[in-house]
Amino acid sequence: MSRVLAVYNIKGGVGKTSTAVNLAYLAATGGARTLLWDLDPQAASTFLFRVKPKVRGGPRKLLRRRSDVAGSIKGTDFKLLDLLPADFRYRHMDLALDRFKRPRTRLAKVLEPLRSEYSYIFLDCPPSISLVSESVFEAADALLVPMIPATLSSRTLDQLEPLVDRRGPQILAFLSMLDLNRPLHRELLHRLRATHPSTMLGAAIPVADEVERMGEERAVVASFAPTSPAARAYEALWLDVRFRLSNSLPRI
Amino acid sequence: MTEVELLLPDGLEPERLAAAVASDGFELVRADGAGQAHRVYYDTFDGRLRAAGAPAVHVGGRLLFDSVTASLQRPLRRVLAEDLPAGPLRETLGPLIEVRALLPLAALDVSEQHLRVLDAEHKTVVRASIERSALADSGAALRPRLRLAAVRGYDAELERVRGALQRELGLERSATGLADDAVTALGGKPGGFSSKVDVQLHFGQRADAAAVAVLRRLLEVIEQNLEGTIEDLDSEFLHDLRVAVRRTRSVQRQLKRVFPPEELARFRAEFKWLQGVTGESRDLDVYLLGFEDMRALVPASLRDELKPLRHALQTRRAAVREQMVSELRSERLGALRDRWSALLDQLQTLPDHDRPDAAEPIGSVSARRIAKVYRKVVHEGRAIAEDGPSKPFHELRKRGKELRYLLELFGTPLYPHDVVKPMIKTLKGLQDVLGRHQDREVQVATLSSLAAALPSEPGPLLATGALIARLDEDKWAARADFGRRFGAFAGHEQRQLVKETFT
Repeated sequence: MSRVLAVYNIKGGVGKTSTAVNLAYLAATGGARTLLWDLDPQAASTFLFRVKPKVRGGPRKLLRRRSDVAGSIKGTDFKLLDLLPADFRYRHMDLALDRFKRPRTRLAKVLEPLRSEYSYIFLDCPPSISLVSESVFEAADALLVPMIPATLSSRTLDQLEPLVDRRGPQILAFLSMLDLNRPLHRELLHRLRATHPSTMLGAAIPVADEVERMGEERAVVASFAPTSPAARAYEALWLDVRFRLSNSLPRI
Repeated sequence: MTEVELLLPDGLEPERLAAAVASDGFELVRADGAGQAHRVYYDTFDGRLRAAGAPAVHVGGRLLFDSVTASLQRPLRRVLAEDLPAGPLRETLGPLIEVRALLPLAALDVSEQHLRVLDAEHKTVVRASIERSALADSGAALRPRLRLAAVRGYDAELERVRGALQRELGLERSATGLADDAVTALGGKPGGFSSKVDVQLHFGQRADAAAVAVLRRLLEVIEQNLEGTIEDLDSEFLHDLRVAVRRTRSVQRQLKRVFPPEELARFRAEFKWLQGVTGESRDLDVYLLGFEDMRALVPASLRDELKPLRHALQTRRAAVREQMVSELRSERLGALRDRWSALLDQLQTLPDHDRPDAAEPIGSVSARRIAKVYRKVVHEGRAIAEDGPSKPFHELRKRGKELRYLLELFGTPLYPHDVVKPMIKTLKGLQDVLGRHQDREVQVATLSSLAAALPSEPGPLLATGALIARLDEDKWAARADFGRRFGAFAGHEQRQLVKETFT
């Protein structure tokens, strides 16, 4: 069964791209055919996989129902992992979506034919709350929400939960850039798990040089620092996500 | 995914490949996963997988076809679709191979060295491997090859890399796959063996020459299917062998005036014998192949009770096959093949005082025969009563087959397709009904005769009885269809067309 997993947060700089590329890599090397769609016009995921950030015809053509999405997909250096690259014109994706009769269901329709080819489809989403994110909520089976450990983080969850109605995607949130030496971080982690037990994951991503080095290496953590705590943390996170997905009850 | 294979000269170092691709700005680097592999290529006897793309290959405990794989621990002597674990590979192969078995074509020991081609961004755009292979049995080496596969979305880069390698090193593109090369090296024929006749004839050709061309091909089909029949590789070998024998006999009858009568009589008796010794085996194959369909004819609650019947059919098949195999291995068949082949060689040089049609053009001889047999089918068909005895149905079926072979073997190559093709089609419609009638009748007789071999419990007897009743019902249903099918075949328009074409 195919799963669409959107890595999403209203805020920027919280570790969305690092999460998307590392988890997509782990899914693919675990034997599942995986696609990562870099929806962010900043094209960070695309850059990390060394692919040209360009999609023929831009978002308008890509969103057209009969357009050849499959023809825009690029293979990465990893056999089972493909990328649908970012394009700077994705910044106008809202406008492109708005031209359709039912803009919110558009992404789901575009992804439909890909579901038979891929076991996992990751969406690396741009920060913001817009028509694009609403379309993402409609298309995704789960939202993976990385949050930086700040007292306002719980507000992210409080804001998100009502946006995603009961039939919407499962929310799986976790802390990234976590420093367990800091009492404030520890305290926050415990509080969030207590107040949001069904959405907060057990795993968290530590603050780590390796994660920052990804941009320089243009590679996923597991490929240049496979034994680092950050690489281990992503493995634990992926395990946790899969566990939650397999235990998710059908929503009514 | 686009792939290209280039042939490498022996002993070419990867460094030279690297220098060649560097001329167009690419970098060649080693990749993980080099190693040795034992590969066994598989295809059906008639090369269905190759025709659909490429043969299947068994490597590392898995059978792979068209990027779908399934676990298959050891390479097998033959693989039927039902031998594969349920899953995507079985679903892909099943409709392609149907009842045919996958047979090993060639076994190779292959050493692979994996490489990657990077672009200016150090991104992998092409996956490459150098394959050095040798036949597993003899150790004879095949020409090494460089396999290049574009990473998805990088076909243009693959073309540039291929261009650079061909330009800088003069590498040849391989016209055939590795499996084909291995089959050729083993003395085989890539693409397998078809049982189609497909002989070129021309209208003015001497009738004896045309008969020889067709009969020689039919003898070839008989001979190429003999070993598979004896080895029981799959049921199509025996089927194709029998069709070729039946067609041979039909040509012997229809073109009898191109042969010396006494010799022909001897060969007709011998081919009749060959047809006879293979008949019951084929009938039993048909029961077993269609057993699931037969099972579906009885009420669901009785279906399991048919197990003893299946077992009885299998037991009888084994016994009947043993007898058939000893006949097929006999000197009698060897002598028949040799002497028949010798006659075909000489036929055109024999005096033709007792062969009145020998020097006639095949166009006029076959037209005469087609028109005559058609008239006979129409005449006999008209005399049939739907609720009358079975014999006239069987006779009509035999006559129809005769016409069908004439049309296929001589009509198709010599007469307009827009006449012959629809005629074969309506004839086929008629033959299907007659065939179903005949099959049901024989099945009822066979199953009744097997009753003694069934356990004397009520379940199996009841189930077999129910099956017999349904088969008999279907026989009558076939008779009810007869009138419509015969009408389409023997209508005024069709009769006119035959009169105008085959004169």
